[in-house]
Amino acid sequence: MNYIIYLIKSSLEDFRRNKVRTFLTSLGILIGVLSVILLVSFGLGLKKYINQQFESLAPNLLRVVPGKIFAGGSFRAGPGSLGTIRFDEKDIQRIKRIKNLDYTIPTLTKTITVRAGRNSELTDFFSSSEDLFSALNIEAEYGEIFAKADVAKKNKIAVLGPKIAEKLFGDSRAAVGNNIKIENQSFKAIGVTKSKGGGGFGGPDFDSYIYIPYKAGYIFDPDKKFIAIIAKVNSEKNIDQAKRDIEEVMLTRYSEDDFSVIKQTDLLSAITSIFSIINLVLVAIAAISLIVGGIGIMNITYATVTERIKEIGIRRAIGARKSDILIQFLAESVILSLFGGIVGLALAWIVVFFVQRVFPAYINIPTIALALGVSSAIGVIFGVFPAKKAADLSPIDAIRYE
Amino acid sequence: MIELKNICKDYVVGNETIRILHDISLTIKDKEFVGIMGSSGSGKSTLMHIMGFLDTPTKGTILLDSKDVSRLSDDELSQVRNEYVGFVFQQFNLINNLTVLENVMLPAIYSRKRFKYSIRKKALELLRRFNILERKDYLPNKISGGQQQRVAIARALIMNPKIIFADEPTGNLDSKNGEEIINLLSELNRDFGVTIVIVTHEKYIANKTKRQLFIKDGTLVKK
Repeated sequence: MNYIIYLIKSSLEDFRRNKVRTFLTSLGILIGVLSVILLVSFGLGLKKYINQQFESLAPNLLRVVPGKIFAGGSFRAGPGSLGTIRFDEKDIQRIKRIKNLDYTIPTLTKTITVRAGRNSELTDFFSSSEDLFSALNIEAEYGEIFAKADVAKKNKIAVLGPKIAEKLFGDSRAAVGNNIKIENQSFKAIGVTKSKGGGGFGGPDFDSYIYIPYKAGYIFDPDKKFIAIIAKVNSEKNIDQAKRDIEEVMLTRYSEDDFSVIKQTDLLSAITSIFSIINLVLVAIAAISLIVGGIGIMNITYATVTERIKEIGIRRAIGARKSDILIQFLAESVILSLFGGIVGLALAWIVVFFVQRVFPAYINIPTIALALGVSSAIGVIFGVFPAKKAADLSPIDAIRYE
Repeated sequence: MIELKNICKDYVVGNETIRILHDISLTIKDKEFVGIMGSSGSGKSTLMHIMGFLDTPTKGTILLDSKDVSRLSDDELSQVRNEYVGFVFQQFNLINNLTVLENVMLPAIYSRKRFKYSIRKKALELLRRFNILERKDYLPNKISGGQQQRVAIARALIMNPKIIFADEPTGNLDSKNGEEIINLLSELNRDFGVTIVIVTHEKYIANKTKRQLFIKDGTLVKK
């Protein structure tokens, strides 16, 4: 009989005789591991979801926005972010002259009421140029998207996201060719975009937007201002240079604190870092239940030691060393804790499997290692005190114990 | 083989110190068959525990093969118990969640020695010799007292010890089973040269041994 096999066998034998106790003890660890793993997997899912949302936008985009944000990698609201600064067509023309830019897109978004027949909805419009569609990878599902000429001619036409089209017309296909009223201005719906998913978790909800040519959009903003400018760089390697060039151009008209030029990756890392911190806090709270579970294991191991003092004495009499007794009880608490960890992990896996239908949560290898590592560590940390107590019993007192 | 010199043992009960053993000196020689007699409370079990390295004396020296064991560490004492000594107790003291065979093999699990022979084979051989081979997969509480005590003797023998200490080995058995156990121990001494020390209060058992020591109120008395 090998020493390790023997240790495991005698622990399992003990659990078999105390099924209910074993189950209740490992339940604490089970719940702890389950909640930690679920939160970690949801956090991973959230990160993946945000990444997906960003990937769905075309790469190599620079955004010029009011205010100073992402200074030193974090948010800091400057005076510009309060909405005092907005951009105009002059800025567009100047940025357009910078080399390595494929196109420069003005954008104005606003929350508006849109009506079609009796249906009325509150949504956002995107007043922009025809290049917006290629910058954001938006294609028409039905009808068509507007063209350069539509912008120049100030045509009062609109392209609808599939969600808003369906809300207004019941069926998104039916929207094409019909008139809608945006804040009582009549626009003709010429197309419905393909669904891009998203929305729901605070991300941009492209499927609910209404897109109109920006020159037609001036009727909603007599100042003819934009709240953001999107610039598409021709190649990834030119992004940093283009960013510096745009900043230089903008500085001729605005002060440094009035605007920011943001890379897609800055935005992504800022958002994911915020969510990571929130997730970490949640995981830390859930980890408290692991400590509670560990205390349960310590409690029951103390009880087991007391129950088996005589047995410890017998083992010592036939030659077991202190370390043999220590290892025996440690093995029991680790196996107990690991058992809770494995079942918790399995349950988390099942939950994640079902959640995946609506949200991209997932469990990766480090998460599994975390679950098994943490539950073994808890077994050791909370098992060592009772095991030490068992090992330190004097052989003669233990064997005389009744 | 084992030599006790001026052994005293005190117990502290509350504020009082009680001396259980008074200045005991004795020698157990190789291949001896010794009976330690005495009434209950006379200190004979304590003496056996000290001789068997389970307990430590308050005063005095113990020599094992002429070496002083008082300086041995706890681990070294464990090793001595494991390799030199076998115990047989009145209440059998088998481990109830291990099978008969596993109980017999248990001392070998704790040994750091490399065995030249198969422990399992040897355990089965002992069980066969003691007529309990068919009980090898039973748990101890499912077999009779006589059988349990034979398992305990098999366990005591698995490491080929130099000496076996038996503390009232028949105390929990009927006379027929008791006699079998005593005969078995005599055989081990006669045929295999195992040194045996039996602690008992029964005259007829002591009479089977080759030398008797009497202990009264913690001192050895001549008879």
